[in-house]
Amino acid sequence: MPLSLSQIEARFRNRIWRGDAWGAAADPVISSGFQGLDKELPGGGWSTRNLTELLLPTEGLGEIRLLSYALEEMTRSERNILLVAPPYIPYMHAWEHLGIDGRHIVMVRVYKPAERLWALEQGIRSAAFGTIIGWLPEASQQAMRKLQILSRSAASLVFLFRPARARFEPSAAPLRILLSPVRGHSHALSLYLLKRRGAPFVLPIRIPLPQAAVFSRSAELKPALIPSYC
Amino acid sequence: MLWIALYFPALSLDWVERRFPEALIPAIGVTVRKGNQICIQQANKPAQARGVMEGQPLASALAVFPDLVIMEQDSHEEGKALQQAVYAALRFTPNIAIQNSGLIAEVSGSLKLFGGLKKLCQSLNRVVTAQGLQLSAGIAPTATGAWLLARSASSGTVINGKGEEFRILLDALPVGFLESAQPHLEVIRGIGCKTLADLQRLPRSGVARRFGQNLPAELDRAYGDAPDPQKWFEAPEDFQQKMKMMGLIENAGLLLVPAQRMVEQMCGWLALRHAAVSAFSFVLHHEYSLRQPHKFTSINIHLSEQSSDPAHLMLLLREHLERTKIVAPVCELELTADEIAAGADGNLELFPTMQSETTSLNRFIEKFSSRLGPEAITGLKVVSDHRPEYSQRLELSGRGALNRFSKRGRNSQIIPPESPRPAWLMEIPLELKVQRGRPVYESPLKLLAGPERIEAGWWNDDAIARDYFIAENDQGQLLWIYREHNPVEKDKGNKDGNWYLQGLFG
Repeated sequence: MPLSLSQIEARFRNRIWRGDAWGAAADPVISSGFQGLDKELPGGGWSTRNLTELLLPTEGLGEIRLLSYALEEMTRSERNILLVAPPYIPYMHAWEHLGIDGRHIVMVRVYKPAERLWALEQGIRSAAFGTIIGWLPEASQQAMRKLQILSRSAASLVFLFRPARARFEPSAAPLRILLSPVRGHSHALSLYLLKRRGAPFVLPIRIPLPQAAVFSRSAELKPALIPSYC
Repeated sequence: MLWIALYFPALSLDWVERRFPEALIPAIGVTVRKGNQICIQQANKPAQARGVMEGQPLASALAVFPDLVIMEQDSHEEGKALQQAVYAALRFTPNIAIQNSGLIAEVSGSLKLFGGLKKLCQSLNRVVTAQGLQLSAGIAPTATGAWLLARSASSGTVINGKGEEFRILLDALPVGFLESAQPHLEVIRGIGCKTLADLQRLPRSGVARRFGQNLPAELDRAYGDAPDPQKWFEAPEDFQQKMKMMGLIENAGLLLVPAQRMVEQMCGWLALRHAAVSAFSFVLHHEYSLRQPHKFTSINIHLSEQSSDPAHLMLLLREHLERTKIVAPVCELELTADEIAAGADGNLELFPTMQSETTSLNRFIEKFSSRLGPEAITGLKVVSDHRPEYSQRLELSGRGALNRFSKRGRNSQIIPPESPRPAWLMEIPLELKVQRGRPVYESPLKLLAGPERIEAGWWNDDAIARDYFIAENDQGQLLWIYREHNPVEKDKGNKDGNWYLQGLFG
């Protein structure tokens, strides 16, 4: 006897996903640290075993602070972070202030696109890293698909920072987020979920960046002479 | 006791053949002297295809195929090939005895570790076959029994004589396999004895009187009725293997197969010593001539963490080999275990733990630096200095990475969080243009906070005196900029220094 639609759905619940439903990812997640964002991310946080593509028009918008809670969580559980081809030198004093333990950061400086991809692949394959963050200005669809397939079998978070213009290219990453600054408000970031598992979400999410207090406090800083011996 | 015997039926051919790169193997015949005639003892497939047959006199073989490559049988070289096979097999059991043209391994202690008899036998065969030797194998509760079964198996097969099967299999073996029966074969066959069972049925005292004590003794050892002590192979103190290549090799890719074999041998030797290697060297010896002065190229590999895993060692060697320029044709390879450390690899863990994560980090670093150079992968260390350029250090990985990456202490001397620091630093500060008194980066900048004076470094020549500001541009970038503050120049009327961009708040 043929099964009815509801029977089929009940039986293959794990394998059928309805377009209007929320993507209930079975993969373990790590909270992003931002309630508003967690609420909209499938599974309720950054998903392991998947690529997360973060598109940004330019560096210096707060992209590290966006990831800082997850990275802090990672290093607290003694897991390593791999940075593949960051655009600038990470300034560890700032990272440490965000709670990220700099001892667990490994940076790879490669410049050729093929080497970046190789480094990312090796990082994802290796069991050594809890998080892999790569800067990938150009990547073919095949390369993205390969990275996503590799990520499926790795229990780590994989973030790819890509230029905002890449939003028009198709991508195998199941989660794509466009970052943009909030005008006139330097302590917030607005996020457009371009793609996620589950129902589309069109409105931007506005999240306050951590350490806003530090910035507002520093605005009141008087010119001070820091003695060189302290 | 459980024994696996490996018999190499084509040993005298294999040791010649395996020194050629696989694609370049010519037609080879190995000759042996029989009385005053030289005969072909073994011929490889290309030679057989051209009509050369085993047992043929050399003269007629050359008449059939004049370009035949002829090698005289060399028991010394065969012994070396056997020894190398034993090295490779040592990974699976320390108890190995060398036989005339094969080896016998006692494996009862290794069954559990290597996943049962079937798996162990497969791995053992694979590893020894990878040494370039054809083999047949026999499994039995006695050493001599296993050896007889291996000899009777056809090439590439295994006869499993475990348990009940053993005596039945042994009974059916022809008498000709028994070593002590060799001088008396004709007589034994003449009295109608074909198999071991037939021989067993004869009165023992009569057999001993006619054919010597050795024959019944060998039978007893085979059936397990008498003890059968073996002389275990003893590994030398140091590991150094050389392999002469036939022909000159100019392509690094062709060296991979022999290199792999040598690495496997080293890992077997390491397993016997319960050790792991922390540095090894691979030397390519070049054909010497007056025209080319290079005698050898040495590849020295230092591991950040000791290892005895052939796959990992081979990976490192391959990456190094790919980056090595072969300046002249290679005629001999040499592998030496330079530094040995006690203890093998970590446990085989089901779930990743701290230990395995550290190990895989070290392996990642090694793999990476051997492919892209050690400067491509770094850690970052916080240094107590107020000058941003000096306040952290890129730490090269490479040797001793384990210590630096996992054991170094967290630096508590970081700058207090009251002064915000950007997540990104420029490699060198970028001088900014100024429009109407305001610094410009993409657009005129709005100063949000500051100044913060950093004045340091007067104790060495790189003194700085800067006023730092946090600024924002129209794109929403948060920037860390500074203006040089120079009291000396101030006096001269040049009030404001230049603006520089040093970092971005990521």
